[in-house]
Amino acid sequence: MKVVGITTQQEVFVGSKDRNFRINEFLIIEDPYQDDLIGEVVEAQTFNRYIPLNIYGDMVDASVIESLKSLGYNIDEDTIYISKVRLLNEALYPVQTGSDIRLPKFSEVKEIMIQSTREEGLVLGVIRNTDDMALDMDEEFKDILYTFEERGLVPQKEIPYIMDLRSQHHYPHIGVFGGSGSGKSFGLRVILEELMNQNIPTIVLDPHFEMDFSETPDYLKEKKDFNDSFKCLQVGVHIGVKFEDLKSGDLKNLLDASSHLTDSMNNVVDILFKPRDSYISFADRLRMLTEAQEEGNIEKIENRIISSGDAEEKKAWEKRKELFLNYDKTCPYNSVRGILWRLKRLENEGIFSKDIKEIEIGLQDGKLMVLQGNTRILQVFSTYLLNNLYHKRREYKDAIYKKIAAEYFPPFIIVTDEAHNFAPKGYDSPSKSILKEISQEGRKYGVFLILATQRPTLLDETITAQLNTKFIFRTVRASDIKTIQEETDLTVEETRRLPYLRTGDVFISSATLGRTVYGRIRAALTTSPHTLNPFDELKLKTKQKDDGLFNDIKEKLPINEGDLLDTAMELERDTGITYTIQSLEEKLNQMVQKGYIEKEDTIFGYRYKNK
Amino acid sequence: MYSVHDKLKEKISGLSLTLQEKYEVVLSLDKETLREFIEEEIGKIKTLEKLSKSHLEACQKKGGIVGVDGSNNRVGGAHPHFVEAYQALAKSTIYKDEPLFLADIYTPLAEGESLNSPIEKKEDLEEIEDKKNIKLSTIEVEAAIEAVERFKPYAILMDGGLIRYNIYAKAKWEELRTICEEKDIILVGVIKDIKTSIIGDRLREKYEAIDASFYDRELLFGKLQYGEMIIINEMVNKKGIEGYSSGFIRSSLAPTVIGIDILDSQKTSIEEMARLILTLTPQTSRGIPLWLDMVDKEVKISDAIMKGLMERYMDRGLYERFFISERDKRD
Repeated sequence: MKVVGITTQQEVFVGSKDRNFRINEFLIIEDPYQDDLIGEVVEAQTFNRYIPLNIYGDMVDASVIESLKSLGYNIDEDTIYISKVRLLNEALYPVQTGSDIRLPKFSEVKEIMIQSTREEGLVLGVIRNTDDMALDMDEEFKDILYTFEERGLVPQKEIPYIMDLRSQHHYPHIGVFGGSGSGKSFGLRVILEELMNQNIPTIVLDPHFEMDFSETPDYLKEKKDFNDSFKCLQVGVHIGVKFEDLKSGDLKNLLDASSHLTDSMNNVVDILFKPRDSYISFADRLRMLTEAQEEGNIEKIENRIISSGDAEEKKAWEKRKELFLNYDKTCPYNSVRGILWRLKRLENEGIFSKDIKEIEIGLQDGKLMVLQGNTRILQVFSTYLLNNLYHKRREYKDAIYKKIAAEYFPPFIIVTDEAHNFAPKGYDSPSKSILKEISQEGRKYGVFLILATQRPTLLDETITAQLNTKFIFRTVRASDIKTIQEETDLTVEETRRLPYLRTGDVFISSATLGRTVYGRIRAALTTSPHTLNPFDELKLKTKQKDDGLFNDIKEKLPINEGDLLDTAMELERDTGITYTIQSLEEKLNQMVQKGYIEKEDTIFGYRYKNK
Repeated sequence: MYSVHDKLKEKISGLSLTLQEKYEVVLSLDKETLREFIEEEIGKIKTLEKLSKSHLEACQKKGGIVGVDGSNNRVGGAHPHFVEAYQALAKSTIYKDEPLFLADIYTPLAEGESLNSPIEKKEDLEEIEDKKNIKLSTIEVEAAIEAVERFKPYAILMDGGLIRYNIYAKAKWEELRTICEEKDIILVGVIKDIKTSIIGDRLREKYEAIDASFYDRELLFGKLQYGEMIIINEMVNKKGIEGYSSGFIRSSLAPTVIGIDILDSQKTSIEEMARLILTLTPQTSRGIPLWLDMVDKEVKISDAIMKGLMERYMDRGLYERFFISERDKRD
């Protein structure tokens, strides 16, 4: 292997007669006039000057090549291998053409490959095409993970990619991009497993109900139990907002997330919401005001007071009158109705029935808290939750700075899939403002983001710009590739490869390393609850049902045509399922079709019998 | 659109018409009639089979095939301000990593003779043309001789007819010829552009109606099937005098035919060599054995290389003074 052609201080071409190059592998250039240089293969090509389709326009056919082989000449041996190598650090002078090239030893690349120790970092996968260097790798980095390939679980052969968690302090936020099926969710799962290993307090917003870590895949021999490290909580069922703790700003955010608030509605909340209001007191106030407004004017309300039957009702109408007098001018009827409607909607979703105490406790314990709910609810809830937790952490840090005592609140990481729903580009959403705030100043307070999305183009640009480390899986959409090109240091060659990446292969564009690593995510230790193929599931369920029915009727076989009514009654008695003669016959015919039982004609008509 | 002068258009349609008239006899010649004439007067038309794998392997065991070709390139302007470089290559199918290169250069400036007479005479030009041919032929033959010694091949394929070596490199050529005959190495010339008029001359002799001489290339165009060969009778072959046997082969689907020359003493091998050529020629090509094309490609001195060599190894002042023409500076 030698340096060939015209060289620069940044790039050289390397030619070889016998060794094919692989993209992203590392090579050492032994330049006689400067220190050894290290470079990475960015393009690899093979070339045969006799086979490039033609010589002087003639197509070469296989029989002639075969004949030449018989004469002792093998055209393949004239193939040469060429690669474009980019130097990791700029050389002082252009590289000397003709310099020798060799493969690096592990010790020479350790610094640039391994960012952290196995204990302190996140062991996320392997760096692709590093198996040559991994041969003399330190023992501590060997056999620490498996990768999952087409042929199943494969032991680690390459240098592991260990992400330095501590550098999060300087380069806090992470983006995970990739189309559906690219391995993005699975990559996120591996990151979360590692965060659990490190007991990092983490909040996961999980609109897909998939971040459950209790199931382990069949392919693993040693099972790892994460059950004590995470907790799945559903919004409205396990957790919610404590209404009494709400400030008017929080409430407005929540209502706005439920459905957009007009200026006038915002105003109504400001006027009608009192600190320490409970849900009931606030809702009552709104309701009574609307009822009063529905009467139309003060005379009609007074009429109501006069004509009311008992003291209770009278009192209620007097209260309405008071509200009407105080607020009718400032709170238009339609706006009050709008607030009431939004408030009821949130209540129906159960948001106000619980609180976030459990999440806080979980974070204090260094657990991974998975919040599940549909996207809209999560948007509503996360707005409140993140504001709340972020400010708790912030107050603690500010208090330390001001040297006053404060309750400890740990640093934590916020993880979400479908991040473009929580922080969309182009329009405002309540959760966006808090995410934006965290993306810009979370670093100071130790609050970090891991945002995954399949549409980086739709993610708010300010936030995208703050994602210092990016995991980029297979991406096919041209607009997303363009965004990635603008937002990362991926080279043109690398972005060209994006649509063809295998599932689980990833470019990691890292600010800590200052370059892009081509890696493969390790095999996950847990599995998503949604891995059952829906068609398998359908088959399974149908079979279960059929087996059940067969069990029920098995004892009653053979069933004659005339016995159908009796059988139906017996079945109702045994199983509680009611059949009409017609529906029972239909079922039995289906069982015949599926081969459970047989139907035969007898002189008394037909009958169903065991096979 | 190109702006083409009407005069030029007229000239070209005129040429087409002239050729049409002159070649009416040839063009109207029935394929079968001509083939019969050839069978009777020139030589048998044979259909060749490609060589079998085992046959090729046997050739390989006996030393493989060597291809020999030469190339020349020229920098500079009009006489005498130019340099011409010559390169010859002999390449064996077996020793593929040992290409055998020879080189030479020529410039009238260094010869000294023409310096005194800037006005060029016709003979001068011919003499220079001869010098070039001598240089090129000589290194080609030398390369072949060295190849014989080094590679001990079964056969040598020379690019082009053998007759020109008689003319331009007689002594060396005789040497090669003797060695080949001694060592039983078959020496063959493969002619891409045949320039003979064997059939035409014969036609003229036979038929009085034909008063012009036609070239074999014109006559044979499209008349042979793929894989067919004419072995020219010694009686009509003019090269016979110099000691060669010859033939024509249609070695590819292209309608043109190529020629083959072989030493008289080895004429029994002409069919085998024709089959070898057929085997090594891609069916859809122009008809040249791939091995010779590969040698040709490797030996070629491109303009870029020539220029690079001059710039790198020649004193810049001398280079500018003698060899940069006005034409070179145009672009």
